[in-house]
Amino acid sequence: MAGQVVTARIGTLWDNRRVLALLVTRDLKVKYADSVLGYVWSILEPLAMAGVYWFVFTQLMTRQLGESPYIVFLLCGMLPWQWASASLRSSMNALSKDSKLVRSTNLPREIWVLRTVGSKFAEFMYSIPVLAFFAIVNQAELSWRVVFVPLAILIQAMLLTGAGLLLAPLAVLYGDVERLMRIVLRLLFYFSPIIYGVQDITRKLGAFGDLFYLNPFAGIIELYRAAFFPDQWAGWTPVAVAALISAVTLAAGIVVFRRLEGTVLKEI
Amino acid sequence: MAPVIEADKLGIYFKRNRRRHKRLRDMFAAEPEPVVNKRGNAKKKSQKAGKFWALRDVSFEVQQGEAVGLVGGNGQGKSTLLKLIAGVLLPDRGSIGVHGGVAPLIEVTGGFVGDLTARDNIWLTAGLHGLGKREIARRFDEIVDFAEVGDFLDTPFRYFSSGMKVRLGFSVITTLDEPVVLVDEVLAVGDRAFREKCYQRMNDLLSGGRTLFLVSHNEGDLRRFCTRGLYLRGGSLVTDGPLEDAIGQYREDTGHSRQPPQ
Repeated sequence: MAGQVVTARIGTLWDNRRVLALLVTRDLKVKYADSVLGYVWSILEPLAMAGVYWFVFTQLMTRQLGESPYIVFLLCGMLPWQWASASLRSSMNALSKDSKLVRSTNLPREIWVLRTVGSKFAEFMYSIPVLAFFAIVNQAELSWRVVFVPLAILIQAMLLTGAGLLLAPLAVLYGDVERLMRIVLRLLFYFSPIIYGVQDITRKLGAFGDLFYLNPFAGIIELYRAAFFPDQWAGWTPVAVAALISAVTLAAGIVVFRRLEGTVLKEI
Repeated sequence: MAPVIEADKLGIYFKRNRRRHKRLRDMFAAEPEPVVNKRGNAKKKSQKAGKFWALRDVSFEVQQGEAVGLVGGNGQGKSTLLKLIAGVLLPDRGSIGVHGGVAPLIEVTGGFVGDLTARDNIWLTAGLHGLGKREIARRFDEIVDFAEVGDFLDTPFRYFSSGMKVRLGFSVITTLDEPVVLVDEVLAVGDRAFREKCYQRMNDLLSGGRTLFLVSHNEGDLRRFCTRGLYLRGGSLVTDGPLEDAIGQYREDTGHSRQPPQ
């Protein structure tokens, strides 16, 4: 029953992929064409954050976490995290921000969440040159494991879409969701291997550290990071867990979104 | 022939106190505070969770090419019914089936984005309603000419006058090839000349075999286009028949004579 719902919805969305492309292109156009600093804005936040951590951990303290070159190590986690946090944050007003558009067009409403995740993904792609720049400057070596990056993107896209489908209607119905998420995102940042690596956790916490893999970002960032840091590879377990959690989140998101759709449409 | 629109025991409700009970903290609160309405009277808890049925048990079928006028006072469910047909609200009871797409002239200007230019908005709105790039390019000039906004194509939409906004909205939506056209009071805006153009456009749509749903308080507009009338009162379908019957029933309920004044 739920399976049928899921496949039927995905079918309708596929029929509307052109509309989705139109919405994403418009978002990018608004962001980049209308502002001189458009591109800079989208990379400024992860860059500034990475700069701060780099300064604190390598200049003020003796770095004990992660690997060298630390700035590349940081960006490998920071840029995907930026995609995640930006898209989770905007998912919460995916339906209310353009409520007039949502109210006047009979599109499958999931499209407004996909559009959010898609736009933020495009910005993530645009920020890759920054990583490339620091990798070249620091002579970081690319490993063959770079082929895992598409897999990381796939798992992360499933996770963000699922979470977005859960958050978008809930945030319309409950004002508290947004405040709660602000805390959750902050915690998730420190509990994900961004400023440190998966290996640091296993080294410091031992077997207890396996619990850490329940955070899907452990597996996702492991996949990204393996492109430059083969020693950070901790096997397929975190990846499998991340893929499983992401798939379940996506399925739950599709079902919950569909259930709340009618109520949400009355509210926006 | 299969009907274009099928409504079966259609029902939708809204919550009376829309925000109150939705707060998460209310779930944990021991005793809900009494809700105070506008006049300052405390309401009982049973009323607080009250549902208000905007439409209830509405069933009808519309065949292709029919022109249906929706009649009824304010707040009787006319616009809600149009939104259900347009698919921008979902029914809580029963079902509504529309075979083929819908061109909704409801909140005509709603689909436009203030910061984008008229040109971008035409592309965006037409695209959102399913027109392909080539189709939009082919009809672009026609849309602009009809809306008479040729000199303001690169002006952000929010600088448009309200008349221009409605003209552009009407122009884009009626250019869509959808078999069902929904019109909610848009004819009331716009000057005389533009209204004439709208009438002409709607006649063209009708003679092209489109199905038309019209909401209006203007009996002249209703009589001009519609042959069939649906009269809604308190969310129920009271009359479904020839337009004159629906208007007659409405006039009777509001205390007017059955015959329109000469």
